[in-house]
Amino acid sequence: MGSSQWLSELKRRLRNLVTPRAQFDRDLEEEMRLHRDLRAREFRETGATPEESRFAAQRKFGNALRLREEIHQAWGWSWIDDLGRDFKYGLRRLRNSPGFTTVAVITLALGIGANTAIFTLIQQVMLSPLPVAHANELYSLGDDKLAWWGGGLQEDFSTYSYGLYRYLHDHTPEFSDLASFSAGTVSLGMRRKGEQNAATSFRGEYVSGNYFIVFGVDARKGRLLMPADGQPNAPPAVVMSYRAWADRFGSDPQLVGSVLVVKGVPVTLVGITPPEFFGDTLSPYPPDLWMPLTMERVLNPGASLLDHWNEHWLYAMGRLRPGAKPGQVQAHVTAELQQWLKENYVADRYSSDPYVAARYTKDIPKQHIVVMPASGGVATTRDNNRDALRLLMVLSALVLVIACANTASLLLARGTASRLQIAVRMALGATRAAILRQTMAEGVLLAVIGGALGLWVSMATARLIVLLAFRDAKYVPIHTNPSLPVLGFACVISLLTGLFFSMEPAWIASRVQPADPMRGTGRSVGDPSAMPQKSMLVLQAAASLVLLVGAGLLTRSLQRLELRSFGLEPQGRLLAWIDVPRNLYPPARLETVYQQLQQRLGEVPGVMSSSFASSNPMAGGMMNEPISIQGKPPVPKLKDGIWPSENRISAHYFQTLGTPLVRGRVLDEHDTAASEHVAVIDEAFAKSFFPGEDPIGMHFGIQTARHSGDYRIVGIVANAQYVDTKIGLYPTFFLPLLQSERYEDSAEDMEQVNTAYANTVQLDVAGRPEAFMEPLRAALARVDPNITVIRMTSLQDQIAANFDQQRLVARLTTLYALLALVLASVGLYGVASYMAARRVNEIGIRMALGADRHSVVALMLRGAMRPVVLGLAVGIPAALAAARVMASQLYGVKSYDPLILASAAAVLSLCALVAAYVPARRSASIDPMQALRSE
Amino acid sequence: MSRDEIPPGTLYMLILRVLARSGELHGFEIAKSIELLSQDILQVEEGSLYPALQRMLIKGWVTAEWGVTAENRRARYYRLNSAGRKQLTEEISQFERVMGAITRVIQTA
Repeated sequence: MGSSQWLSELKRRLRNLVTPRAQFDRDLEEEMRLHRDLRAREFRETGATPEESRFAAQRKFGNALRLREEIHQAWGWSWIDDLGRDFKYGLRRLRNSPGFTTVAVITLALGIGANTAIFTLIQQVMLSPLPVAHANELYSLGDDKLAWWGGGLQEDFSTYSYGLYRYLHDHTPEFSDLASFSAGTVSLGMRRKGEQNAATSFRGEYVSGNYFIVFGVDARKGRLLMPADGQPNAPPAVVMSYRAWADRFGSDPQLVGSVLVVKGVPVTLVGITPPEFFGDTLSPYPPDLWMPLTMERVLNPGASLLDHWNEHWLYAMGRLRPGAKPGQVQAHVTAELQQWLKENYVADRYSSDPYVAARYTKDIPKQHIVVMPASGGVATTRDNNRDALRLLMVLSALVLVIACANTASLLLARGTASRLQIAVRMALGATRAAILRQTMAEGVLLAVIGGALGLWVSMATARLIVLLAFRDAKYVPIHTNPSLPVLGFACVISLLTGLFFSMEPAWIASRVQPADPMRGTGRSVGDPSAMPQKSMLVLQAAASLVLLVGAGLLTRSLQRLELRSFGLEPQGRLLAWIDVPRNLYPPARLETVYQQLQQRLGEVPGVMSSSFASSNPMAGGMMNEPISIQGKPPVPKLKDGIWPSENRISAHYFQTLGTPLVRGRVLDEHDTAASEHVAVIDEAFAKSFFPGEDPIGMHFGIQTARHSGDYRIVGIVANAQYVDTKIGLYPTFFLPLLQSERYEDSAEDMEQVNTAYANTVQLDVAGRPEAFMEPLRAALARVDPNITVIRMTSLQDQIAANFDQQRLVARLTTLYALLALVLASVGLYGVASYMAARRVNEIGIRMALGADRHSVVALMLRGAMRPVVLGLAVGIPAALAAARVMASQLYGVKSYDPLILASAAAVLSLCALVAAYVPARRSASIDPMQALRSE
Repeated sequence: MSRDEIPPGTLYMLILRVLARSGELHGFEIAKSIELLSQDILQVEEGSLYPALQRMLIKGWVTAEWGVTAENRRARYYRLNSAGRKQLTEEISQFERVMGAITRVIQTA
């Protein structure tokens, strides 16, 4: 066989695979036609007219359609034909009852849509790889459990100093290339060169020169960074994200190649990344700018992390060579890490402090690196959202169960109505299997239509959930358009749903005894589907109650949380994050600029008190420092293995935030760089380190015993929750911004210099804090336009932001509870309507015998409400049990809160009553004569 | 002239036999051949011919190939293969055994 022939044969076969049966039927048809035509010709030759011959040939041949069925059966295809017929029939039945179909389809669409939405999120957040070439080759050094910035040993290493990264880069041949990038982004003030307006804030990330090569990303415009850009003397070049370019610069083509001023430093914008690339981390705050690591030194002169071998601030990620085994690589990398630590920590840094050197020698064998697949990039977002998404999965599954129960009860009701028809079909010889299959086909059809609609619902709700989940996010790199896996999920879940909810109705329909319904002709009172139908309603009512109670508890708990006191005065407080450019303000100039700032802020009308500090309260994150206390043995770590928290503050800090002084004095204007170095501590610090003693007048210092006399404690303030709402009270000490100590160790010395820079401003104002955002910005600009405001928020909003997750969960539970309520009401309405339709005869008789409309309504309502009451009886214990499970997540509300339980039951009953009343009212308004005549 | 239905169970044998004799035939030719060879006594019930042919295809006794008739119409031609030939021998010997038995019963006085 020639190759072209072989190819055409292959093509034919492939075509046959795609439409094998259609082709098969056409062939058969042609074959049979030939037979009939030849036979007809034979008849014609005997003298018949053409028409007669054709008919005679056809008569002789028989029913071609029946023959075809016989042949299909021979091939084992009859089930396809039967199924096709079942679907056609099902479609006709659905078309004939548009009311039922609409209700069922909407119910299923909501149920399937809710689940598909959650799946979309899970798929996007948890499963989807970075939009780069061969993402599966990417591996990260470290599992990112703890994003560590700073020196010391991490045990489970995830961040690396530049020196350590270079060392690992050069000693891991298993990686074809290893890139590094700063853990998290930094805020930068930036403007175009030649424009005089104030710099605006952008998010920047420092990356190694090979970053874009390792990720395999090509420029959308211009070029991306190259290894040459990372060389020490390379002209400063940056790359901008497509989004920043489009949103902030209107996709100005002139921008590429032009000069931007970042923190006062001119840099060239060399290119734009492709639109789908959001960086190495799925985050609501993706970087706008990517800068070479070497720029870090230019932007932070004298306080650069880059040159410090012991400042770990970089993630490392690379492509493994084909064939490299992650387990072996992990062992090798760990060995290299320990080697590097031995060379640097023990031999160099702490050789002068035998105590520390001994400790490190002991700890180095515990240090290790986990090599993790990183096809999805840095994993923090995934970790943060895992629990919330899991909870949502459970919730949406519950909603789907309700939707299924709902549709099943509708189908049951309909099955009851069509019992006579089924009986007739069975009497005429339909098998039980055929009835079963046909009812299920109808169910699957409903589910598939519902699923298609649900997909649309999911697109809408996924976006909604993303908006709820990432409050204030500028941009969420999550695509809510259905992808192939999502489509597959929706298909599978629709089919399963269809099979699931039509199973019981189909079973019951196929159990029909043909004689029974024919005898009764609709007048029978006993009804085999009444029990399962009512049990479906009971299930729905119970599940809805559980969701309602859950929603009520979570919402109440959130309200309590938000109203809680955190040792701060949230009303009328404005917080700002600022950037004082280090390259423009060497430490010597800070005192003057702080004085100017304090003065300008004080001049703003309505500002009662102002201060600045290293960190703002309730913003998460803290600066931890080991301390030594004068006259005491080296301080052990705190219970949970962490050092106390440090904050550097200006005068009026406590007054501005409303933290009361307990004893001694607070820091004020007299505490300058030149005056005696003093500290204020909080009660938790006093309790942890000075139990049963008076801390006032004691001395302590940061790091080694050599510094234990640095600061004298002058005051104690009340406890406040500074870090966030989850971490409770935490021992904290406060030092004046400008009272830095000098350290032998260069890394520690640099950290000391860094803490002198205020990163935040606090204002206590009269009136709405939001109204003071512009005056604050103006006051800063009047001091120096290069001091940029990164972000502003009221303390209230800042506290509220801590509850984002709780709020998301509470809101979604409420959303789903409402959905469940609507579904249950719709289900009850549907069932009540069918009941009413079936009892038309009976009602006619009752009314003919003298029942008035009120008693008919009461009768119908009683019938419809009985399953709801039963559902409450089942649901209340179930809700109590569910509430007990989530008791640990509740704050300030008991899991058995009677008010919430009662309101949930009341809301459910009220909705059910309305849903049942409408059909009851309708059946009471029928004309008895009409009713008696109807079959 | 009266015509007789083909006795049940013998249709396969007849089709196989006709194909063995003529090599390659389409459906109508098979029907026609059976009629001719039986001198118009046996009449194929035309409807049953096509399901029978399909079953024989499934069993793998015959192969089918599309070709063109003398009048230039597309037709499916059936051809015996080795399995079919073996089947034919078997069917004939079985038929003869049964026929012989029946004959003996009838002729026994």
